[in-house]
Amino acid sequence: MTRRRASRELRHTRWQAVLAVVAMASAVTLPVVLVSVGGGVAAHEISSLEDTGYQLVVSAAGLHGIEHAHADAAKLLGLADVREAAPILSVPVDVFNASGNVSPVLAEGVVPSQFVPTLGPTESALFPLPLPLGDPNDTVRFANGTYAGPPTYDVLLSSTYARAYHVHVGASVVLSPTANVSSGLRYNVTGLFGTPLSLVQPHGAYAALLLLSNLQVLTGYAAGPGTAVPDGADTIEVVVAPSAAESPSALAAVARDVQAVFPSYSVTTLSSEAAQLQSADDVLTGFYLALSSVGMSIGLLFLALVLVRRVERERRSIAIRRAIGVPSGAVAAAILENGAVLAAGGGLGGVVAGYVVVRGLATWGTSTVQEAAQLAQFSPAFLAELVAAVVALSAFAGLVAVRAAWRVDLLEALR
Amino acid sequence: MKADLAPRVPSIGLEHVTRTFGAGTAEAVRALRGIDLTLPPGTFVSVEGPSGCGKTTLLNLLGLLDTPSHGTVRWDGTPVGVRTDRERSRLRLERVGFIFQRFYLLPTLTTEENVELPMRALRVPRPERRRRAADLLAEVGLSERARAYPHQLSGGEEQRVAIARALANLPGLLLADEPTGELDSANARSVLDLLVRVRADRDASLVLVTHNPEVAARARRHLVLRDGSVVSDRTEA
Repeated sequence: MTRRRASRELRHTRWQAVLAVVAMASAVTLPVVLVSVGGGVAAHEISSLEDTGYQLVVSAAGLHGIEHAHADAAKLLGLADVREAAPILSVPVDVFNASGNVSPVLAEGVVPSQFVPTLGPTESALFPLPLPLGDPNDTVRFANGTYAGPPTYDVLLSSTYARAYHVHVGASVVLSPTANVSSGLRYNVTGLFGTPLSLVQPHGAYAALLLLSNLQVLTGYAAGPGTAVPDGADTIEVVVAPSAAESPSALAAVARDVQAVFPSYSVTTLSSEAAQLQSADDVLTGFYLALSSVGMSIGLLFLALVLVRRVERERRSIAIRRAIGVPSGAVAAAILENGAVLAAGGGLGGVVAGYVVVRGLATWGTSTVQEAAQLAQFSPAFLAELVAAVVALSAFAGLVAVRAAWRVDLLEALR
Repeated sequence: MKADLAPRVPSIGLEHVTRTFGAGTAEAVRALRGIDLTLPPGTFVSVEGPSGCGKTTLLNLLGLLDTPSHGTVRWDGTPVGVRTDRERSRLRLERVGFIFQRFYLLPTLTTEENVELPMRALRVPRPERRRRAADLLAEVGLSERARAYPHQLSGGEEQRVAIARALANLPGLLLADEPTGELDSANARSVLDLLVRVRADRDASLVLVTHNPEVAARARRHLVLRDGSVVSDRTEA
């Protein structure tokens, strides 16, 4: 071997090592990004759910699935351990503003005096209190199934919508259950409310809040004063006594009591929703890891190729070691160690790269991606396990190279 | 020191040893044909003969790098054929020092790391390894080149490092395959002097394969091989 060639081989070996590390780092970056962002988003949603305020949700399918919302809420308040109950009707409507823009908005009809006490601390901070909707109890215009009217024509709009369409308090907008403005009613914007950070922005955060009875009239196509309206809602949010809220079994008991009163409605606890969300997050994490395993397999394949290539280039060195008397096991251990070091380097590089990518997305990503990236959570335990797994898996790549090393014909290599 | 080394110097015997490469094929080559040979401890023997006569094959069998196709190789009276590959590796590591014609230093290791290599395999503690490597490099006159890589050394220096490496684990048997074959005459003489001196200092056995009669003349016993057979076995008085 000439001196120049030997020197070149040294450099070549280093380049191969760098390439192997880069390949492994690329493979590790993907799970770091997916799991950190996915986990962060899920944790945020679960946290939001747990911070909602109410603990039980009574719901029914259909626009007016809960047919006697006011009366049903009152029934719930009669149950032991139930402290608050707020009927809510959620209907997508079109909002026509003064500039002629039309945008779909999720309108929520509420009874202000019942709705506000069901809010958690985070959500209640988003609303102007008391809600400036003109009728705190929603009783003036709704009585015994007959709409007394006229509507207050007061509406609160989400600040996201207001910013997007330059709508201010004091302006007026038309809310319509159809895409036709003539089907709608003109409302005065009496306030703005914030929306919790969500991944469904911008359209999902376009929201309006108005009196339940007014939204019932609106969805009943504005039948007008003196006419019967469906006392419909789709949800009743229920706050239970603190002692029951803190105990899953007590909460489940309250849920059973509520279910007994409304056997045809669905009764869920937020803790079960959080569990479902967590379960969905676990499934997604598994999916992310399965997806990442493809990249990981390619990375390991590359590592194996680099290690085998090294063995081929170093056949003579391996033969020299064995001729000297270095045990085959030591030669194998050196190859496995080499693979583990490269994999560890790649793993750590991938963690750093993943962190940089997520921070980059949080700074320069498009709106939804940016928000998701901002919620990313880097779990040291997960990252350590990921690097450890990569190092452990590198043993497979190393074993391929070890097999190649053991097949080196000692005498032939020394010839 | 010689008392410590004495048990490490093997007595080697070859009985009717044959080595055939590619046995059972049309290209089968009988490299050695029925060799009978005894090498008592402390022997200094040269092996001469034309290219392809089986010199290196004989050396590989003596150093347990290879096994015979037929016949028996004994170390201290025990057939080495019954030993496992692992046991033969251990014997090589502890008791044999190989010196190759092309030096065969590991290009990615420095001079001192190359010398330390057999000691690392034997799990000699690091301070002891460092000390012994420094002593050996001083003995071969290369203390100043401890941090150099093989490609930064001259041929003579590389062979000196190879000799230092061969001596690392205090072997009783030194096997040198054309150790001066790639060196100019000045370096060849210097390396040969070194080999002869270190062998004498340690009272080790030295088997020296060479084409060169001048080199062979330094040995006390002279084997000549031709076509895989020993045609002359002469010991000087």
